[in-house]
Amino acid sequence: MPPSVPMFGKKRKNGVFPKHILSALEKCGLKTENLIYSAVTDMNDNGEFCDTFICFDDKGLYVANGNVDVPSKKGAEPFVTVDKIESFPIDAIDEGYIEKFVSTARLVYKKSEEEFPLIRFSYACLEDMDAFVYAFNSFKNGVPVEEIKAEKENGEEDNPFEKKKRRDRGIVFRLLAFYKKYILIVLVVTVAIGAGAVFQLLVPQVGTRALFDKIISNPNHLSQLDLVKSLGILVAEIFFLKLFKVILDSGHQFLMASITPKVVYDIKIRIFTAMQKQSVSFYTSKQTGFLMQRVTGDARHIYWFLINDLPDIIVNVLMVAGIFVIMFNMSWKLSLLVLTIIPILIAVIKGSEKMFHRLHHAHWATNSNVSSIVSDNINGQRVIKAFCKENFESKRFRKASEELRKAEVKLAKREATIFPLFQAVVHIVSTVIFAWGSILAVKGEISIGSVLSFIVYVEMIQQPINFLSGVVNRWARCMDSATRMFEIMDAQPQITEKENAVSMENMAGSIDLSELEFEYEPARPILKNLNLHVEAGEMLGIVGKTGAGKTTIASLIARLYDPKRGSVKIDGVDVCDIKLHEIHTNVGMVSQDIFLFMGSIADNIRYAKPDATMDEVISAAKAAAAHEFIMKLPDAYETRVGSGGRDLSGGERQRISIARTIIQNPKILILDEATAAMDTQTEARIQQSISKLKDGRTTIAIAHRLSTLREADHLAVIENGEIVEYGTYNELLTQQGQFYTLYKIQNKALNAIGIGE
Amino acid sequence: MLTESNCIFKKNENGFLLAEIDGKQASRVKIVCTQPLTRPYEYVSVMSMDDEEYGIIENVSDFDGEQRRLIEEDIRQRYFCPVISEISSIKDKMGNFYFDVVINGRKKNFLVRDLTKNIRQYSNSIMIIDTDGNRYMIDDINAVPKKSRRKLQPYLY
Repeated sequence: MPPSVPMFGKKRKNGVFPKHILSALEKCGLKTENLIYSAVTDMNDNGEFCDTFICFDDKGLYVANGNVDVPSKKGAEPFVTVDKIESFPIDAIDEGYIEKFVSTARLVYKKSEEEFPLIRFSYACLEDMDAFVYAFNSFKNGVPVEEIKAEKENGEEDNPFEKKKRRDRGIVFRLLAFYKKYILIVLVVTVAIGAGAVFQLLVPQVGTRALFDKIISNPNHLSQLDLVKSLGILVAEIFFLKLFKVILDSGHQFLMASITPKVVYDIKIRIFTAMQKQSVSFYTSKQTGFLMQRVTGDARHIYWFLINDLPDIIVNVLMVAGIFVIMFNMSWKLSLLVLTIIPILIAVIKGSEKMFHRLHHAHWATNSNVSSIVSDNINGQRVIKAFCKENFESKRFRKASEELRKAEVKLAKREATIFPLFQAVVHIVSTVIFAWGSILAVKGEISIGSVLSFIVYVEMIQQPINFLSGVVNRWARCMDSATRMFEIMDAQPQITEKENAVSMENMAGSIDLSELEFEYEPARPILKNLNLHVEAGEMLGIVGKTGAGKTTIASLIARLYDPKRGSVKIDGVDVCDIKLHEIHTNVGMVSQDIFLFMGSIADNIRYAKPDATMDEVISAAKAAAAHEFIMKLPDAYETRVGSGGRDLSGGERQRISIARTIIQNPKILILDEATAAMDTQTEARIQQSISKLKDGRTTIAIAHRLSTLREADHLAVIENGEIVEYGTYNELLTQQGQFYTLYKIQNKALNAIGIGE
Repeated sequence: MLTESNCIFKKNENGFLLAEIDGKQASRVKIVCTQPLTRPYEYVSVMSMDDEEYGIIENVSDFDGEQRRLIEEDIRQRYFCPVISEISSIKDKMGNFYFDVVINGRKKNFLVRDLTKNIRQYSNSIMIIDTDGNRYMIDDINAVPKKSRRKLQPYLY
């Protein structure tokens, strides 16, 4: 098999090749001193993985297939082979672009109207190649080399999202770190556990051994009274040892029960807070069922493990260690025999740990799938009923439950077969010890009391071993849950606030979008070099087809995402430099996705301003044309909405969400299809409210229904991420361009239903 | 529906697929599958490079010889996924699954997160999607070595 290609799957740095690649290219005759930009890709034209080097200078663009082989020896120079360098004169190329396929992409270059395929690469190189193409096209457009290189250096800056390396501390230590706050209690618990284990270990020494060696073996040397006295002392010693053990056990259980819920509470809060810090993209990529499972189900697994099993693990580990110390003290020969089982048990424990970890993972995933289906069904009941799909959904649920059942059965079967295996090992060793110990006792190498107490210790060791073998399963489940929870805690939010972010308490509300570029996935641009200026207090209407990029503009102004290139400025300050809290309090958004939280209508309206008076709440509801319908509800403003609450219509929910934004009193108001779900009459009323609302604030209104944008000071028509028309309502109608066409189509449609202008 | 009678495919000298539809001048097109995972050659759409649909071919096999080869070649290129022949190891580190596999006789490693979403099973074939969005296929899970199958088995659900 050929050597592995070590750069596979790793992010490569753009810009200038590393030295070893440069010298290999130079050996093949390429002059590298004037290279402006370069990249390494990972595929040849046949779709086979290899290294492909691509670069350009002011004379040409160069492509070479090759291979970088990094020797396993640390610090050794990578070995680079270059097959052949293909050159393309810089004047023979006008521009380049990336054509995306389903899992791969290719670089295509254009000359006049003709196109030529150049290189193919996997999605792993998409970002790098996107930057390469941008650099190349910038160069062709006359951007100075220094600027391109400066851009490259900026691009090579540590990505803030990846800057913090994953803390690779063991999961166990990370879990235990949550106990740090309660260190004193933990110390007391540990001492209590240790002392309890010692008391338990002393019982065979004080009881069995003393009974045989001091009393039963010497009955003639003791008087009746001394015998009774000795027996009495023996019984009392055993009684008190057991009593102390019970007291210590109860004590440590009580203390653990008092701190573990606090620890699990801390873990839940940390996960929930980590989730709150995540950007919008985090939630769109994860299913609700999985996230809910992490906050509740995983935390529950960890709770039961920490409260029940962790103290017992300490007890049993101490027990095993203590038993061996005593055993070696009594007979090293017999102890060595017992020791032989340890490696066997470790091997079985290690093997089963891995297996159970995977089985639990499968169980967790199938269980989450069932939860997601249940959640889907509850939320989608209207659609299910409307399409008469009850049976279909039942079958879907049955299928998922069947998968869960299989995972559970598999897990239970493995549990049932693996645990007796541990016991069998212990029983065999115990029997051998009994036989060999008896021989040693007959030879006089060990007392009968010692043999008997040794056997008691071997029997005693079974319990911790049984426990430790059983706990492997629960340990694996806890580790599996903890792994998933730490995954959320470690996820770096995409939107972060700069350390020296500025505070803008008195925002005027002017907006500047400058050379704005954005894409949700590499090489699929949503906004292309978009420039737009909105004066403070102005109303801008944005019009365009679905998918044109209207909502993306709104999201960038509210800094739900960061642009790929270019900037969004409010009052001349880049939104990336403004405190996040300031942006979110000053930019209000009424979007097409309406969400009401669990609680009363008043609570929902007050969401942005919890201390708002009832007077303010009613005024906001009136301004949003919501007061009238709220007052018709039996509980009026105290009507519970959201999950499990009263079912409101789309229009009603939207009016509450508008009232919620009104009470926020933002300097910049974004209405993203805010009235799309309403009937014409309600829409007209809300339009009136919005007209009043826009006084003194900058308003950006995105709408399909052009009539709703009559009040706008300016309108921008967006198509494929670019502004194709800009002007006032009347100017755009006079221009007879795209806006005019849209206007005519809509008017015709509205006339057909009798509500046209 | 597009058939041999109203749609003629050819390749230009730079290797791009062109189509002459209803006698109109040939222009660059792409073939997009409606069922790429299960029936890639049935109901395929012929589109302009600006995603405007010219029409649908019911079954690629309705086209003969060279024409059929051109369509299939474009589909293979667009939907190309490296095929995994062996799984050397899958290491789980904090929810990041590091796959060491063999593709075309060469070792390849990649990172997969959120396995339930990114390992998909379609009958006997399995698709794995890495963190960059690259897709890898195992054409037939029963055809890979038993050891590889055992490594992947716990994550198939």
